[in-house]
Amino acid sequence: MTRHNKHKSAGTRLRSLYLWHRWIGLLSAAFVILLSLTGLALNHTEELALDSTHVQSPALLDWYGIRAPTEITAFSAGAVTVSAIGSRVYADSMQVANIEQPLIGAVHISDLIILATTDKLLLLTDDGELVEEMGAAAGIPAGIQAIGVTSDGRLVISTANGYRTTDSELLAWQEIAQADAHWSGPVTPDPALVTALQTSYLGNGLPVERIMLDLHSGRILGPWGVYLMDGAAIVFLLLACSGIWLWGKRRASARAHRRRAGTQTHEKHHSAESTTASQRQQHEQSQQ
Amino acid sequence: MTRLFTLLLLFLSAGPTPAGGTYQSPEDFLDEVFAGAVPAAQVLWLKDDVRETSTAIMGHRYPAIRVRYWLAGTRSAWILEEIGKEQPITTGIVINNHGIERLRVLVFRESRGWEVKHPFFTDQFPGLGITPAYELDGPVDGVSGATLSVRALKKLARLALYFHSQVITDHDATQ
Repeated sequence: MTRHNKHKSAGTRLRSLYLWHRWIGLLSAAFVILLSLTGLALNHTEELALDSTHVQSPALLDWYGIRAPTEITAFSAGAVTVSAIGSRVYADSMQVANIEQPLIGAVHISDLIILATTDKLLLLTDDGELVEEMGAAAGIPAGIQAIGVTSDGRLVISTANGYRTTDSELLAWQEIAQADAHWSGPVTPDPALVTALQTSYLGNGLPVERIMLDLHSGRILGPWGVYLMDGAAIVFLLLACSGIWLWGKRRASARAHRRRAGTQTHEKHHSAESTTASQRQQHEQSQQ
Repeated sequence: MTRLFTLLLLFLSAGPTPAGGTYQSPEDFLDEVFAGAVPAAQVLWLKDDVRETSTAIMGHRYPAIRVRYWLAGTRSAWILEEIGKEQPITTGIVINNHGIERLRVLVFRESRGWEVKHPFFTDQFPGLGITPAYELDGPVDGVSGATLSVRALKKLARLALYFHSQVITDHDATQ
């Protein structure tokens, strides 16, 4: 292969790489824009209230598999219906608490709504404000099976180890041998309440921050989305490397071109000077 | 080469450090603080001025109307909760003579920021008191990557100091 052919082949390769760089760059622009916008949004989650704004789109909620549970546990506590849907507890249609264990009952004693899960009691005012959450540190044993009110109006809980009752301030607990109590039992919630609870449940199920995080990581498309973003990241790296390499090549080529152009100008100038000198010499000789 | 391979295998099989969870149950914390003789619980009602000041300290209403505490002499123990980012951090705080005696993270439910459970962070609190403006009277260095958890624990420390000042005043007045 001659030097000229080698030169030509290197030039073709460079042009080909430049074209690849350009087209891949154009295609990856969509990912760059997506990552930049979601990254900016995530950097300002609190200012943009992304963690407290919830997605309302049924399509997106469905995409995330967020569907309102059809199973709702409800109990009557005075005039209020206390319901648990998923981990959320509602007093009528107002969300009042989140629970980690199943709701097993609710009673109403002296202006307080008292909810029982299997490991704690939640005391609420009639307005749904939390008075206190009582767990093991407050003397509540784990394994609560039922909650009720004795005939003389005292709160009583049934556990695997027997019955316990408390004072009027609900501060100290004591074991009792037997309890003549009205135990809280499940009720069937009104259909209108069920609809209201399901709507509320869906409305607070998916924060916008989750969508931004999943768009940024690709998880919104499942495991393949993560691989897609991994691929995009690798392409960005290749683009950065090829960009720097192409820039270096073009710079070197431009410098060589300038150097060649400078040499040719110098040679031209030199030959022009030589021609003028010989012409002047010939002129002088002819005059003599 | 074999040694290098073994080291690499050990490194890979070590797995991540356990993060969130229950580090100590509240009842065990109380048992430890009062050496098994836990005094009867009392409650502080968050009304009027107490409600207002606690809201100013927390930056929001404390999510309960009454707070349970255990008092023995000049020592009081508090089990308080504050949300770091999304989940509440359950913290046990002991105040003695208007200064923090002990602060311990009991239950951490968040996926990030659990480094605040370590003594290198919590050991900064003992000895700190509260200024008239309800700020801690000494510095507490943050933990990189756990800003919200650090902020939550500092708020709880201030709140426990303020609550203690309220119950000690009541306690003194009744004696």
